[in-house]
Amino acid sequence: MKDINILAGATSSFGELWGVSPRKLVSDVTAEALKESGIKRHEIEAIFVGNMLSSSLGSQDHLGAFFSEELGLDVPAVKIEAACASGGMAVHTACLAVLSGQYETVLVVGVEKMTDHKPEEVASALMAAGTDGEREAGATFPTLYALIARAHMAKYATTELQMAAVSVKNHFHASLNSHAQFKNPITEEMVLKSPVVASPLKILDCSPITDGAASLILSRRKSGGKNIAITASEAATDSLGLAQRESLTSLKAAAEAAKKAYRSAGILPNDINVAEVHDCFSIAEIIAMEDLSFFTKGTAAKNIASGMTRLGGKGIIVNTSGGLKAAGHPVGATGVKQVVEILQQLKGISGAKQVSGAKIGLTHNVGGSGATAVVHILKK
Amino acid sequence: MISPVKIWRNQKKIREVLNQSGKIISFTRVFMPPAGFENQAPYAVVLVKLASGRNYIAQLVDFEEKHLKIGQKVITVLRRTRSPSEEGIIPYGVKFKPL
Amino acid sequence: MDAGILGYGLYLPYYRIKISEIALIWGKNPGDIERSLGISEKTVASFDEDAVTMAYQASLMALARADISANSIEAVMVGSESHPYAVNPTSTILGEFLGVKNAYLATDLEFACKAGTTAMISLSGLISGRMISTALAVGSDCAQAKPHDILEYTASSGAAAFILGRKEKSIAEILAVTSYSSDTPDFWRRDGVRFPTHGGRFTGEPAYFSHVESCGKMLLEKSGFKPADFRFCVLHMPNGKFPREAAKRLGFTKEQYRTSMIVEEIGNPYTASSLIGLAAVLDKAKSGDLIFLVSYGSGAGSDGLILRVTAKINKKSRESSFQQQKSGKKYISYTDYLKFRGKI
Repeated sequence: MKDINILAGATSSFGELWGVSPRKLVSDVTAEALKESGIKRHEIEAIFVGNMLSSSLGSQDHLGAFFSEELGLDVPAVKIEAACASGGMAVHTACLAVLSGQYETVLVVGVEKMTDHKPEEVASALMAAGTDGEREAGATFPTLYALIARAHMAKYATTELQMAAVSVKNHFHASLNSHAQFKNPITEEMVLKSPVVASPLKILDCSPITDGAASLILSRRKSGGKNIAITASEAATDSLGLAQRESLTSLKAAAEAAKKAYRSAGILPNDINVAEVHDCFSIAEIIAMEDLSFFTKGTAAKNIASGMTRLGGKGIIVNTSGGLKAAGHPVGATGVKQVVEILQQLKGISGAKQVSGAKIGLTHNVGGSGATAVVHILKK
Repeated sequence: MISPVKIWRNQKKIREVLNQSGKIISFTRVFMPPAGFENQAPYAVVLVKLASGRNYIAQLVDFEEKHLKIGQKVITVLRRTRSPSEEGIIPYGVKFKPL
Repeated sequence: MDAGILGYGLYLPYYRIKISEIALIWGKNPGDIERSLGISEKTVASFDEDAVTMAYQASLMALARADISANSIEAVMVGSESHPYAVNPTSTILGEFLGVKNAYLATDLEFACKAGTTAMISLSGLISGRMISTALAVGSDCAQAKPHDILEYTASSGAAAFILGRKEKSIAEILAVTSYSSDTPDFWRRDGVRFPTHGGRFTGEPAYFSHVESCGKMLLEKSGFKPADFRFCVLHMPNGKFPREAAKRLGFTKEQYRTSMIVEEIGNPYTASSLIGLAAVLDKAKSGDLIFLVSYGSGAGSDGLILRVTAKINKKSRESSFQQQKSGKKYISYTDYLKFRGKI
């Protein structure tokens, strides 16, 4: 694949942004990205919007037109939806648009407004990413990942303490991220004592409900300063529901997308210096590390718990943004924010959370309980 | 209100999984339910490998603690699933009971 | 008459509440209530059960025991006073889930606690008249009672299903049928109102006793049998006292009605009451035994049936349906009871 250059990237603050509308979220992150890129607004030739819940919670579809109007741009615009991988899919689609040659410079924006409704209603709306059978059973996403966690614990003796270590690491990273929803450090004990959502997952094992947006400007043109490029953009799908999966302890779609991405970028997994992975639940990061071939099956939990993937650790440093757990998970924005985080790491502008010497980075964005996976590889 | 046509189409599929035995392959207890399931919480959700070979996810009912384990033999029974609205058609479906 | 029972099944919910648990909540002496009502505990349907789901589970057992497939059923009649819909038949929802093909007659019946026996009588008539050969009769109820009302101690949930066919194939043939009806407002529920209302002591002599005794006497006269001819007596059981007294008045002994007195352990599951009593009796019956059954439905009426057990009963599975259903159980508190029955 030909490299796609990233001219700029920006994220909003993530959190319960009661007074901030989706329009403001998007117009602010777009303005910030435009400023960083140095290009004029009218140079954007198409807009790709990553979002999941606009119609079920906001009664608004047709988000392409909604935001192109907001941004004052009468260009082709479309909403891309792939549940929690909407953001990653929007980036992937934007890459294809640039690769096609039809558009030179495009805007990707991921946005989600989740706090306008009660948690039970949001949990129910999120289940649109699962199957009807899962909804009929009264399952939520914590329920589905709890079933995955239980299977992983039975097969590999993964413990609740090891899962807690993932949340602890991500909160530590988030304490260095001014945009994160939760900047407070936590301990394993706090995680273990937090209320049970769906056993064995407790509140502090689960990513929160968050508002937020992130943007990227992608182009065939190189950027003026340090040029960071997307060198691989791959996606894969697996069955919609958990019941139809071959394995409960690995997300085949993620492993597939990663394999294709490494091949496309011409690299090996351990060439990656820094990664943003989809830790919708603590167990998801453990499984991601195995699916991405950073660790062999059954070994990720103990390696993460030993600090290998934490800032200052010996391995690939994971989720310096704080991940989904601590930075927050505005569903449609996450996949875009992950690319922005890696962009900043490779540019060397991550401040206190900088991974020194980062040259190659990876993002891993998953939809539903593993039905869609999108992997991007960025390089300097 | 849930579409009666959708309920009708789905009820035809329910017969295929009624009165089927299987074994639990994973389980969880749900303490924070989604909208519409509040009055049922807490409840157990299990993923079961049916004797026919396919997997199926549903609630586990009428069980003791010792039944909530991987490998437990279960059978499907007919139950109300989603809470019907006051005027809507009642959706029936399948749940599991320990054998 | 040319009709009989080919197979039977029943269903009892998993949950139970002790009468003492309810009594203590209302500040009553548990011993007094248990003694005066002759019940120690009753079944409680879970929040996800109703007359349809219980009818289905009972019918599955009946089909298996009759060793026939659902697509040979030509009529389905379900009696209940808790049909989930005021308009939309329980009988076809049941038929669909069982896999009964479309060429069948279906209808729902309501006559308080006797709708199940009325279904049996109606279907036996259709079979005897050679309109059909095989049918399914069900009595199924999730009974509701107002908190603090005396009925709260007895109103329970359960279902019983009977596959009926020609007498030559049956495990018990129907020898005689009577019915006694009147307009007696002892217990009723207006449309749209949640809980039934009853006339207190009026439900005794002028209602239950008058109809059960009159119907019972008619049945003996018509059939020419004497009480001593019967091995078993099954009466509708609104509590543990009434059926004992009525049986005595009709000339039956404790030995004859003992086996059918399921009310002591499961309470009164309304249309399923005398039918589960019948199932418990069939579990123990031997070829040649005569069974005397009189049901009662408020409003009011009684159905009477005499059955004779055939040699075919020995060939079928002897595992007791009633024992099996009542063995797996769990006691719940009064608050859980309110949660399950949707009162809070």
